[in-house]
Amino acid sequence: MSNLLLLLILMPAVAALVCYFVRSSAVRKLTVVAAGVILMAASLGLLGQGAFEPIAVGSVLGISSDFLVTVLDFALLGVILFYGIKHKSVLIQVFTLAQAALLVWFEVVMVEHAAVPALVGDQLSLIMVLVISIIGSLICIFAIPYMDKHEEHLHLKKSRQPQFFFYLLLFLGAMNGLVLSNNILWMYFFFEVTTFCSFVLIGHDATEIATKNSVRALWMNSLGGLAFVIGMMLAYMKTGTLDISAILAAGPQGALMVTGIGFICLAGFTKAAQIPFQSWLLGAMVAPTPVSALLHSSTMVKAGVFVLLRFAPAYVGTFLSTGVAICGAFTFVACAALCIGQSNGKKILAYSTISNLGLIICCAGINTPLALTAAVMLIIFHAISKSLLFLCVGTIEQAIGSRDIEDMRGLYAKFPRTATITIIGILTMILPPFGVLMGKWMAMEAGADTNIIIVVMLAMGSALTVVYWARWGGSLMSSRKEGAPAEQQAVLTRLPLTVLCVGAVVLSCAAPWIYNSMLAPMFKVAPFTVSFGSLNSATGSFAVVPLFIALGLGVLFAAKSAFGFRKARIMPPYLSGANSTEDGTYVGPMNGDVPFSAGNMYLGELFAEGKLTPIFNVLAIGLIVLMLGGAL
Amino acid sequence: MDILILVIIGLLAGPLLGGLIAGMDRRVTAWFQSRQGPPIMQPFYDVAKLFGKEKMVVNQWQILCAWVYVIAAAISLALFFAQSDLLLIFFVQAVGAVFLVMGAMAAKSPYSQVGAQRELMQILAYEPVLVMVCVGFYMVTGSFSLGAVWQQDMPLLAKMPLLYLALGYALTIKLRKSPFDFSTSHHGHQELVKGVLTEYSGPYLGLIEIAHWYETVLVLGLCALFWHTNVIWMALLLIVTYMLEILVDNTMARMTWRWMLKRVWLVGMGMCVVNLIWLYAR
Amino acid sequence: MFGSFIKKSRAKSPWIMHFDCGSCNGCDIEVLACLTPLYDVERFGIINVGNPKHADVLLVTGTVNHRNKKVLKNLYDQMPEPKAVIAIGACGNTGGVFREAYNVVGGVDKIIPVDVYVPGCPAKPEAIIDGVVLGLAKFAQKVEEAE
Repeated sequence: MSNLLLLLILMPAVAALVCYFVRSSAVRKLTVVAAGVILMAASLGLLGQGAFEPIAVGSVLGISSDFLVTVLDFALLGVILFYGIKHKSVLIQVFTLAQAALLVWFEVVMVEHAAVPALVGDQLSLIMVLVISIIGSLICIFAIPYMDKHEEHLHLKKSRQPQFFFYLLLFLGAMNGLVLSNNILWMYFFFEVTTFCSFVLIGHDATEIATKNSVRALWMNSLGGLAFVIGMMLAYMKTGTLDISAILAAGPQGALMVTGIGFICLAGFTKAAQIPFQSWLLGAMVAPTPVSALLHSSTMVKAGVFVLLRFAPAYVGTFLSTGVAICGAFTFVACAALCIGQSNGKKILAYSTISNLGLIICCAGINTPLALTAAVMLIIFHAISKSLLFLCVGTIEQAIGSRDIEDMRGLYAKFPRTATITIIGILTMILPPFGVLMGKWMAMEAGADTNIIIVVMLAMGSALTVVYWARWGGSLMSSRKEGAPAEQQAVLTRLPLTVLCVGAVVLSCAAPWIYNSMLAPMFKVAPFTVSFGSLNSATGSFAVVPLFIALGLGVLFAAKSAFGFRKARIMPPYLSGANSTEDGTYVGPMNGDVPFSAGNMYLGELFAEGKLTPIFNVLAIGLIVLMLGGAL
Repeated sequence: MDILILVIIGLLAGPLLGGLIAGMDRRVTAWFQSRQGPPIMQPFYDVAKLFGKEKMVVNQWQILCAWVYVIAAAISLALFFAQSDLLLIFFVQAVGAVFLVMGAMAAKSPYSQVGAQRELMQILAYEPVLVMVCVGFYMVTGSFSLGAVWQQDMPLLAKMPLLYLALGYALTIKLRKSPFDFSTSHHGHQELVKGVLTEYSGPYLGLIEIAHWYETVLVLGLCALFWHTNVIWMALLLIVTYMLEILVDNTMARMTWRWMLKRVWLVGMGMCVVNLIWLYAR
Repeated sequence: MFGSFIKKSRAKSPWIMHFDCGSCNGCDIEVLACLTPLYDVERFGIINVGNPKHADVLLVTGTVNHRNKKVLKNLYDQMPEPKAVIAIGACGNTGGVFREAYNVVGGVDKIIPVDVYVPGCPAKPEAIIDGVVLGLAKFAQKVEEAE
């Protein structure tokens, strides 16, 4: 057991050091692949052993591990402060110094250093470990060929990959540590490590804009760190323990403690890039695609929602809970609206990520077993589908040199494999019977009970979501000339894409069993019963497997008839009879050919990013103040 | 076993009822315009003829999308007859809508491209309304499952009149009637030719027509649930509703998608919210 | 059974597309008159569609000239089989009074095969409806021969 935990948390760090110090590209590649495989195996092994009670971590070389974490904590704050000074960011300096000061006071004056078991593995942790280790590792493997091409494109004299993979792997370890920690101070430490790693990874390309955006990410997340410290202190004043399991078991205990939890939720908001903190995540898109994929699908942002979910029992039934739900629902609909106006593929992914995180946070706020199930389902399936889409956009960008969805129009003609995988990825985001939609369905059914504001926002957000995904998926489809050359793709690119694509489909089908084996034990009264592969709750049912069979057979049949399309007469589109020989072109002025061109509607007058963002920010700040104030 | 029989009934009733409704629609429209109009069976002749035509496509995506559209529409109606979860039915129906849009975008045709974009605007307009109606059902019956409706002893119309009116918007959009018929319409002469349907021909157009019948029956079925206590009143409610649709279709001009979005989101959603507040207050 | 229903339906649902190949608008107005309540061709299931991909019958009015012959050919090619072409009016049949003009190719049959010729200048709506019905009989015959 403890060996597995060690493997999950420390092995990535060791592998990271190997990547950093052994400057051989072959060794690095081998290390990354090996670390990925070990991580996947270890996470599955941990799942096999099942949930476990909080366990203590002994001492290392005679130094107590708690003390070690404290020392590393201050060291990390020092490093962050250094970067704050280096980049002349007053905000980072202020937030970091404040954190350090409060932390000193907390550690020295307030806390009685009793032994607290450091690690715990309940169902939620195990699921998070699986998501982080498997999807994170696949992304790291994808990064190997990607970074080679990336650096070739940048014409670097000296490869910066050692540093890149160092932080990438370290990140995975820190995330595993975060989700497994039981001591709130440990959680805080890993929280800060992810903040710092993301800062370095966002600024990896060291361009002016990358540096600027990474600094913004750092100050926003430092604010989150500060909120975490404040929340930790307030909660400790009431509960008198650092043991998260004990805090959760006790439930909400009065205004002071709930306000503390409220601050911790705020920390989760910054990490999950909820409005008004969304700008760091949008800025993070300048990083190489594997970083975006890692940060925004399975790790960094999921740390934010994990914190909210972890502490959900501590604020159940309070006003804070409603506040969290409203804030989340607001981010869901606001970011979906902002996404409508975007044509940059990565920005669409970014906004949709924030939007989905908002939905997860909304579920955490609704805080019923049904809603929490929805949240965890969304975490799992969103991580798979979204990482797949990030990797697709990365592949497409390297193939066509653009990340604009208008430039991806008709991608199928030249890159059929990537286009098809992207289309499948998009469909898994919006359509039943796939997991993300199932999560959304659960969220809506859970939300219907609570609050009309939440219901309205969920309904509108869901419609907006369909629009921006459907038009992207549709524009990738096009005709392909008979006998066009096949698409070339590196094995290490193809592997993660295929695994994630198949995973997104197959795991969605297995959702009832995932629910039964992993989620149902989380609750005293399980929200669903499983029969004939359907999830049945008291208020509704989602026939997962029957739908999969019916729709799956239907789609297979449709695909079979589609494959025989060469038997039908191929006829170019109707262009009022003026069509010329080429597909889509028509004979225009002076008998010249006018090529086909089209653009999506981005509804600029309604959903302009520049106009809406300030309004949304103000509204969101108001909601957050309401949420925190209401907790008092 | 009962459910299986109901599903089969649903799968058969969809095209039959849908076709008949379309035929009567054309008859009544002709009557409004002092014409005689085609036979009631005309939609069946049309579709049968389309199936007898040559297969002609722009690319394979059209075939895929046409089939998935009709399959999803049929499954959503089957789920409706199986008295499944309302939200689930609605989401399955959305599969068809999304594939119709994607199929239209797969062709390099300006008409179907613009049609697809407008169709998306229509989805954007009616989806929230339909979700709100589902939530309304939940508020009244305490369950999203359709079976729970039958345990009510009062017609739902009494409790959610405004939601029914809002559903009228969704119905008009789904039936592709004026003033919301700008992504495609039953009339061939508009600036977009046939919008999303322009590039579909022969059997594939026939499939889409059948899918449209399934959807018509589904949305009308949703309307029928508002008076579940008495078959006669239910029929009357449906007839009045449909006659109003035809009247609106014949007296209104086609409007723009901006007008639709504002109208449906403000008025339609407004009515939904007010009605839901009543239900919450109860 | 289904096959015979399809065969029967062909005659009951002729969707027409009207192409004005440079007519003086006389015949065009008569074609549109068929749709008015007075003649109401929808009685026979006839619908005026705007798109060759949906059409069964192509109605062509006016003379074919060098500028639009390609368009006429394209439209004809984009119609799925089985299909019929009906040339309407003196100009569509033979080129009419414009026959000798330097830019005129002649009647519709110079470019695409024509099944029915409806004479008149302009053709009467009754004649046009008659032509369409005749065209349907023709293509029913064609389909049978093909089988």
